[in-house]
Amino acid sequence: MLKKRLVGVITVRRGWAVQSFGYRRWLPLGKAEVLAQNLDRWGVDEIFVQAIDRSAAGSGPDLELLARLGRIGLATPLIYGGGIATLADAARVVQGAADRICIDGLLHDNPDEAVRISHHLGAQAVIGALPLASRNGQLLWLDHRSRRESALDPAVMELFRTGVISEAVLVDWQHEGTRGAFDERLLSAFPVREVPLICFGGLSEPAQLRSVLESPRVTAAALGNFLNYAEHAVQRYRQQLPGVSLRPASYRTMGQP
Amino acid sequence: MTARRITVGIVDYGVGNHVSVWRAMHALGFRCRVTHDQEVLEGTDLILLPGVGAFPPAMRAIENRGLAEYLRAKARGGKPFLGICLGMQLLADASSEFGQTAGLGLIPGQVVPLRQAAWHIGWNTFESMGGDLLLRSIDGQSVYFNHSYVFEAPPEYCIGVARLAEPFVVAVRRDNVVGLQFHPEKSQAAGREALQRVIEGLCNA
Repeated sequence: MLKKRLVGVITVRRGWAVQSFGYRRWLPLGKAEVLAQNLDRWGVDEIFVQAIDRSAAGSGPDLELLARLGRIGLATPLIYGGGIATLADAARVVQGAADRICIDGLLHDNPDEAVRISHHLGAQAVIGALPLASRNGQLLWLDHRSRRESALDPAVMELFRTGVISEAVLVDWQHEGTRGAFDERLLSAFPVREVPLICFGGLSEPAQLRSVLESPRVTAAALGNFLNYAEHAVQRYRQQLPGVSLRPASYRTMGQP
Repeated sequence: MTARRITVGIVDYGVGNHVSVWRAMHALGFRCRVTHDQEVLEGTDLILLPGVGAFPPAMRAIENRGLAEYLRAKARGGKPFLGICLGMQLLADASSEFGQTAGLGLIPGQVVPLRQAAWHIGWNTFESMGGDLLLRSIDGQSVYFNHSYVFEAPPEYCIGVARLAEPFVVAVRRDNVVGLQFHPEKSQAAGREALQRVIEGLCNA
């Protein structure tokens, strides 16, 4: 049986891993590769590294970071997002160390390029991130670079509906970093029913994780800051979510894969 | 007496992420060569064909590097051979992904769209099939998948399945040639166990 996933998110800004709060405040955590090594050892289901300033700066994917991550020899699938603007960028990211890519700014700038990427890498390797807020019954989509919100673009929704992109990350950007604050209206209001969803932003409490993960539309819950406050936090979440279709908790020691 | 270290030849045909496979091999104590040079592959104990992406460009990339006939000859000549993910699918006779494309034809079967879902992404339970012992040790463990096409092989070549509503083939074997649909290099302890068993099993057969 296919399991639901707990994804560990590492947010990178100016080359350093940070705790992120609502897309507007950041506290340093250290080296991304050290955090990735921890998440790998603690047994998260996927690691998602998002370099949040690459797209706005037009500096392309952080290939040096990917090289450092590659040298670790992660035994956990790696998703990379940040600065991917072209098929060539996407190919370099996958040839680096990533198993899958996540696009965000590209969905605003050039949705056609997402189609080319999908045809080349396979749609299963392509994830789309959508920072969203629910206001007055409407979903608003944030372009984090300009800080402007707009309605969801039908052409972009078509990419999700037709399977050009295999999973959508619904990011509650306003509540990112706030305990137990994920706005579940994002989930119920998201209009495309065909695409599997990953929820992210403010998910920290077992009851809400259960609620989100039990939705048939949701394949994964992503956690950032909350996995960094205690060792093996991901395994504790597994223990606290009996009956949810997750891999069982298991603890491994240093040196074991 | 010290056992001779196995050397794995990872076929570099410009598709996918070799870094992870290479690192996993090293972590398991194998020597590695990442190459498309036939002379270098000749000096290895096992050929490993990785792969990420779509079937037609991958097959084209193999052919463009003059590797298709070489790989067929080596596998048919008995050299241990392992295909991972798309590399497993390339072992088949053909794939219908983006039109009909011939594969390496090393294990009978067709690569077709997964019928039960659009995708098979994430951790799923591996079920060992038949009497083959290579993957028996990971029977019942979860491994990581990321694909939307499946290798439909005759039952005699199937050594492992996973299930959505129905079971489908995720591991195949024909003598010295093995294919794994999951990513053993990204399946944590279970994946490393599978890699070790398969490589040592094929090389010491």
